[in-house]
Amino acid sequence: MSDLAAVLAIARKDLLQELRSKAATVATVFFTATTLLMMAFALGREQGVLERSAPGVLWVALVFAGVTAAAQSFQADLEDGALDQLLTYPVPRAAVYLGKMLATWAYLSVLGLLLAPIATTLYGAAVTGTAAVALLALTVVLGAFGFATIATLYAALTANLQAREALLPVLMFPVVVPIVLAAVRATESLLGGAGGPVGDWLLLLLGFDLVYFVVCASLFHFVVDE
Amino acid sequence: MTLAATQGAPQGAAGGGTAPAVSLRGVVRRMGRDTVLRGVDVDVAPGRLVVLRGSNGSGKTTLLRLLATRLRPHAGEGRVFGLDLVRQAEAVRARVGLLSSAGGSYPVLTARENLRLALALAGRRRDEGELAETLERVGLAGAADKQVRFYSSGMKKRLGLARQLLVDADLWLLDEPYAALDEEGKRLVDVCLTEARGRGRTVLLASHEQDRHDLAPDATLELVDGRVRLAAAAAAVVGP
Repeated sequence: MSDLAAVLAIARKDLLQELRSKAATVATVFFTATTLLMMAFALGREQGVLERSAPGVLWVALVFAGVTAAAQSFQADLEDGALDQLLTYPVPRAAVYLGKMLATWAYLSVLGLLLAPIATTLYGAAVTGTAAVALLALTVVLGAFGFATIATLYAALTANLQAREALLPVLMFPVVVPIVLAAVRATESLLGGAGGPVGDWLLLLLGFDLVYFVVCASLFHFVVDE
Repeated sequence: MTLAATQGAPQGAAGGGTAPAVSLRGVVRRMGRDTVLRGVDVDVAPGRLVVLRGSNGSGKTTLLRLLATRLRPHAGEGRVFGLDLVRQAEAVRARVGLLSSAGGSYPVLTARENLRLALALAGRRRDEGELAETLERVGLAGAADKQVRFYSSGMKKRLGLARQLLVDADLWLLDEPYAALDEEGKRLVDVCLTEARGRGRTVLLASHEQDRHDLAPDATLELVDGRVRLAAAAAAVVGP
């Protein structure tokens, strides 16, 4: 079996698990909805403030949802020793990492693509033109990729710890800052704010995505092998 | 402790060549602050069925996980079919099949989906007919499309056995395969393990079950104080 087939089998398994259990879906959908609403109430009724806050709130909601989704992905693997079993197959550790990362990326991309129009509408921030909509979708997909690369590694790192829910965000948020920063600035540019040229931010996002992907895939075996 | 290493493998032993199926030299493994394995030396020739005994916490599971490359030795050297457990871990994994005491199946997937996934990851060709036959054999045909989270512990263990049968690795590692099984299930394990040996597979199982009448192991090893000693063996398989 090729490594690519193993990657796809693992990603498919993770997505199928989520589709059936809805463990991450229930938690993340409610969490993101609550975050968007509570932030809207907290920021007040001034339209300018809401509009300017939309990119930040969107990405904060996505980042926290991503933590939950990544943690849930490994939680399901820990039941009945399934992760242990998975790691006894003749599949490179990088392929296991990639399979799990792809599933988290797909999940976060769908969530982000659903969340973006809701957030922009709720906060009164308009995205004008097909090109801007496509670039916003690209920003979400690239941001979700960068986040998934890091979240998968750190979720594996904390999977066996008792305080994993508390430790996971504490450990990974400092590392994920460049991704969040670039994604927020790119979104801000697209929503007509003062983010600067969107292309620059997207390139920065892509650069961090690639660096993090290579580093995390290389480090994964240190995390899962005892 | 040398088991059969000097006599060579039995006729039809799988993947043997001249290398022992298992060869450990001075293997030490710590778990936290405890040293669980304190210099394990053991050779098992291909095609043998060996039972590993020991009290709770004696290191049986640690030893099996080490052979499955889930744990690395802190000292000493280990080889499976001549392949180094650390430097050639992926090649070792292609020759080893582990049935852990926890079962190792995904609760949200059905039995059939779990087996398909196992075959895909083990690099084995998927044959739906063989898969259905195996499920029938372990008594899960009627529950093949039920999610594993609705299974009893015994059913999960049967599913793990089905996975071992389908993957049919050269070295079978089984951790408490009888646990949670009814008597008929235990006999099924005995038959499957005996058949695996008949096909030339090497079988190493950790178990607390005493005197399985339907199982005739080539040797019984005991883990005491982190070391392996021979508890019983068929005379023909014990080396000098």
